[in-house]
Amino acid sequence: MAAHRLAIEMPHSSHRLTRVDARLKVVCGAVLLGLVTSSSEMMFPLLVALLSLTLCLALGVSPKTLLFRFSEPLLIATVVLLLKLFSAAGAPLFTLNLLGHQLVAHRDGLLEGGRIASRIAGAVTVMAAVGFATPFTELMAALSWFKVPQVLVDISLFAWRYLFLLFEDAQVVYHAQKNRLGYVGYARGLRSMGTLAGVLVIKAFDNSQQITTAMVQRGYDGDLPLLRHRPFVPLEVFFCLLFLVAMAAVRSL
Amino acid sequence: MGATPAYAMHISEGILPFPWALFWYVAVVPFVALGVKRVNALSRDDLSLKPLVGLMAAVVFIISCLPIPVPTAGTCSHPCGTGIAAILLGPLVSVLIAAVALLIQALFLAHGGLSTLGANTFSMGVVGSLAGWFVFRALRRIGGGLVVSAFVAGIAADWATYAVTALILALGIRGNAPFLPLFVKVVVAFIPTQLPLGILEGGITAGMVSLLYRRRPDLLVKMKVIEEISGHA
Repeated sequence: MAAHRLAIEMPHSSHRLTRVDARLKVVCGAVLLGLVTSSSEMMFPLLVALLSLTLCLALGVSPKTLLFRFSEPLLIATVVLLLKLFSAAGAPLFTLNLLGHQLVAHRDGLLEGGRIASRIAGAVTVMAAVGFATPFTELMAALSWFKVPQVLVDISLFAWRYLFLLFEDAQVVYHAQKNRLGYVGYARGLRSMGTLAGVLVIKAFDNSQQITTAMVQRGYDGDLPLLRHRPFVPLEVFFCLLFLVAMAAVRSL
Repeated sequence: MGATPAYAMHISEGILPFPWALFWYVAVVPFVALGVKRVNALSRDDLSLKPLVGLMAAVVFIISCLPIPVPTAGTCSHPCGTGIAAILLGPLVSVLIAAVALLIQALFLAHGGLSTLGANTFSMGVVGSLAGWFVFRALRRIGGGLVVSAFVAGIAADWATYAVTALILALGIRGNAPFLPLFVKVVVAFIPTQLPLGILEGGITAGMVSLLYRRRPDLLVKMKVIEEISGHA
């Protein structure tokens, strides 16, 4: 659980990119995602991955955090690569004997699997760069500007605001259970985890009542005030468009 | 729970080609729209609903970060948490909860992704929630006990989620290969982890409901999970 917290790293506030209009970062991220996922080659997604990784490091994100964050997509990319390698047709590359079963690896599968793995690398790193470069509240304000339903934005903001509090509570309960041998054996571990999850639900109910009372006293009428965007900066818009045109041109090469 | 990463099995960012990513976004829109309508309608009468749904989304986020050791696979996986959200708040609100939890996971943990948010919301939010809710309600209607119904609903929500995830994956990555053999391979790849995990999720869901019934039955009454507080679950 602590490891997950490690990966929710706040953006490096002094970097110039964190001050760029969040709406432009959302547009850039979405267009790049579209370009990567519609790419039928390996090189473009890998180039985007390299660019985004460099950006993450420039934002001050530690390599350890990046490695942790990308561990799951890397695992999935490997599984997909293996699935495609052994399920495609075409010229065989090599044969594996697995518990009496002959698994034939195919060249076409390797290429197709490589394409998907590169797409995963490109898309995951783009999202990481956008996430690290944009505070959550700005991101939500940008989504609201793009007419994402206000309810979704409000719920996301509530979830984000109280996530860390619930996380702390979960850790306290978990450590108390662990110190009392609550996770010795599967049956007991399962019971403890059920209790932990139940405690979190109770806390969510109780906190929601307290939060509402406190907010109503401060004038809450059902709508959360959001950050107001400053007007678009022409230079930022220009560089955003230039960047996207350049990336589209590179992809079409 | 320490520092072991949970190998969450949401569909990873970038795994689906653009047309499929778009297709699942379109497929999930009506359910999200109904969820938005439902929350808007309920929150007109109860201002605490939006904070509650937000906090439940945070709970689902945390639950789906709990790494559970899966003995048959030798790895860790994680529960979905949408079963309990659907039991407590209904399937439509649970779709929103899943969407928000998945969005935060995609942005800050690289679990799932933005391009696959539609697909993941469909499998976990729509199918998982509906399966969990229907099974729970059906079992309760035929006289099933609260804890047993929650246990089976947890299993149904989890297995339904991963069956649809396998379908989405096979459709998305098959390229020119035939669909069925790849689908079977994806299902076989999921089975060692997800089959026992579903049972574990059922256990966790039952544990949660049992705790709520013993400690705070008023919440279950408020959420219309039970009609009145009686002596036994």
